[in-house]
Amino acid sequence: MSAQTPETPRLRGLMLVAGREIRVRGLAKANLISMAITVLIVGVLAALPAILSGGDDTTAIGIAGSESTAMQQQLEAIGDYDVTVYGSAAEAERAVQDEDVDAAVADGKLYSQDGVGNEEQTVLESVWQSAAVETSLTEAGLDAAQIQDALSVAPLESVTFEQAGGAENDPTAYFTGLIISILIFFMLMMPVQYIAMGVVEEKSSRIVEILLTSLKPWQLLGGKVIGLGVISAVNLIAIVAVGLGVSAATGMLPELPPGTTSAALSTLGWWVLAFALYGTLAGGIGSLVSRQEDAGSVLAPLTTTLTIAYVGSIFILNAPGSLFAEILSIVPPFSAIAMPTRIAIQEVPAWQVVLAVGLLAVAAAGALALGATLYKRSVLHTGSRLKLMEALRKAA
Amino acid sequence: MLEIKDLHKRFGDVVALDGVSLSAKPGEVVGFVGANGAGKTTTMRIAMGVLASDSGEIVYNGTPLGSKQRQRFGYMPSERGLYPKMKVGEQIAYFGELHGLDKAAAKRSTADLLEQLNLTDRIGDNVQDLSLGNQQRVQLAVSLVHDPEALILDEPFSGLDPIAVDVMGTALKDRAAAGAPVIFSSHQLDLIERLCDSVVIIGAGKIIAAGGVEDLKAREVKELRIRVETIEDLTDALPGTVTRDGDDYLVEDGDSQEALRIAAAAGRVTHFAYDQPTIAEIFREAVTR
Ligand SMILES: Nc1ncnc2c1ncn2[C@@H]1O[C@H](COP(=O)(O)OP(=O)(O)O)[C@@H](O)[C@H]1O
Ligand SMILES: [Mg+2]
Repeated sequence: MSAQTPETPRLRGLMLVAGREIRVRGLAKANLISMAITVLIVGVLAALPAILSGGDDTTAIGIAGSESTAMQQQLEAIGDYDVTVYGSAAEAERAVQDEDVDAAVADGKLYSQDGVGNEEQTVLESVWQSAAVETSLTEAGLDAAQIQDALSVAPLESVTFEQAGGAENDPTAYFTGLIISILIFFMLMMPVQYIAMGVVEEKSSRIVEILLTSLKPWQLLGGKVIGLGVISAVNLIAIVAVGLGVSAATGMLPELPPGTTSAALSTLGWWVLAFALYGTLAGGIGSLVSRQEDAGSVLAPLTTTLTIAYVGSIFILNAPGSLFAEILSIVPPFSAIAMPTRIAIQEVPAWQVVLAVGLLAVAAAGALALGATLYKRSVLHTGSRLKLMEALRKAA
Repeated sequence: MLEIKDLHKRFGDVVALDGVSLSAKPGEVVGFVGANGAGKTTTMRIAMGVLASDSGEIVYNGTPLGSKQRQRFGYMPSERGLYPKMKVGEQIAYFGELHGLDKAAAKRSTADLLEQLNLTDRIGDNVQDLSLGNQQRVQLAVSLVHDPEALILDEPFSGLDPIAVDVMGTALKDRAAAGAPVIFSSHQLDLIERLCDSVVIIGAGKIIAAGGVEDLKAREVKELRIRVETIEDLTDALPGTVTRDGDDYLVEDGDSQEALRIAAAAGRVTHFAYDQPTIAEIFREAVTR
């Protein structure tokens, strides 16, 4: 008789369950394929701006005539321009026609195939003007220092009277907020359904009865939540890493708003709290039914809540200063998506962030207790769907 | 020694168990018999800790059975269950690990069992791709993978093909020979008769008969059967109430020694013994009483 087999310590049981989920679900072909496809799409999307702009963003400019030298100096100082000086206006004109250069400035004329972009127009205009001014000043007998002095004018300082209005119109912040809300939403929606499906699978196949002879209900539920959490986190990290990596490789990254990394990290933090909340509730609620077909309907309140949080966050992106935005981003479980989205687009008072985190943590702890209780009481109940209230009233 | 003591359990208005007690000594195979709904499954679930009783206790080797010890038990629930989309080998090994084996030991034990069950070549298949009979064998492997020190099996033979029945029977006997108490329920009374040292009969949540198989049989003695080579009809000559069963005489309430003398005088006596009831008859007797 082998009485010396060691007992399964609590954590070991939890980790065995989580490990099985990761092996069976995470390494399943379906998951690997869908992850590869998602990562591929994200990679292509991240590379798209670079592909569209043709990769080479220097503009070839031809210059000829009176102000050539001064213009060349200024354009090269700005950068992004590939300047060629021609001997005559006719040569410069021909260079444009032959498409050797994108545009040419000569003797007060701007040559191009079919006009130049707004930005180029402005740059060439001002360079032309200041070169002309410089020439006249030199002709008037001023020395280089005096000309420098005359030309250096401080740019306009912006003074506004509406306080938080600035970021609302910032397209990068809007985009960041949008990405954050979408990521958190999907990284909650998917595992929540997988957790419920897994719970129902164990119930409908009746395997739970053998499992419970060697595991406590909380180990079974907790292991499942942790396992799917790890799978989702890996998905999330892969997507973010590929997105940022491709952006960096194509030279887009320096243009990402500062604080992108910290935003990514805090997004992960919000997600962990939200996942604990939604994941355990999904497990508890899933255990109320015995058939896979019933899983969707019993989960509806949870998925609806998630959808409201997501849609609300999109609304916040468009009206970050509203009272609705403040409330939704503080009240759990909506805050899980709403607050990180709002942070992306707006300066949020620290006390509101702290309050939201605190409330979400408390709610997550509550959900943990509630989900585990529901699970424990209903996981062995077979047959008809158990009413929520029945399960809560039932003695353990 | 595994003792189930005075279990009571109600489901709403239904009294499922009304003071159920039974026990299995080390090495003892106990058959648990009863009509459908008598309370066998409920008793075994409570013993395995997946259902709470209203009162009563489970005692193992003198102390209340804890989850640590229960983990080393082998259990086959009446409603079988496996992960349909998990590979046979992985699944059996997973349960081994859940029951406390380390990874290597679980793998080894899985390989051994699959060998015994003739399933070695299916080790990498998903359970759902196996025939029902083979799934049952996997279920058996799951309950035996950790070399359990006690077995509680709810109708382990139902749905098994004859080969699996033999494997299961051998497994039970092996475990018992190694000192494990074994309790199993079954409707196949011939199997109970063949495998069990003792039988417990439950009816409507109460134990109605229990004891060693031989004791029970001896207790329920029936008629005296006499076979004698003679052309005479001894029906009137023999004492007590005499009936014929083919060429045999069945004697009830008569003096056995006088019957023997009369029979011997008539011819050569080739059979002279009390008929023993089968477990099936004892069971029928017990539940109709
Ligand atoms: N989960 C349950 N809910 C309500 N009644 C139950 C439940 N489980 C068993 N019963 C009832 O308890 C009694 C005993 O059932 P059971 O232990 O399954 O009998 P057996 O295994 O001997 O066929 C039956 O009347 C059955 O209907
Ligand atoms: Mg039963």
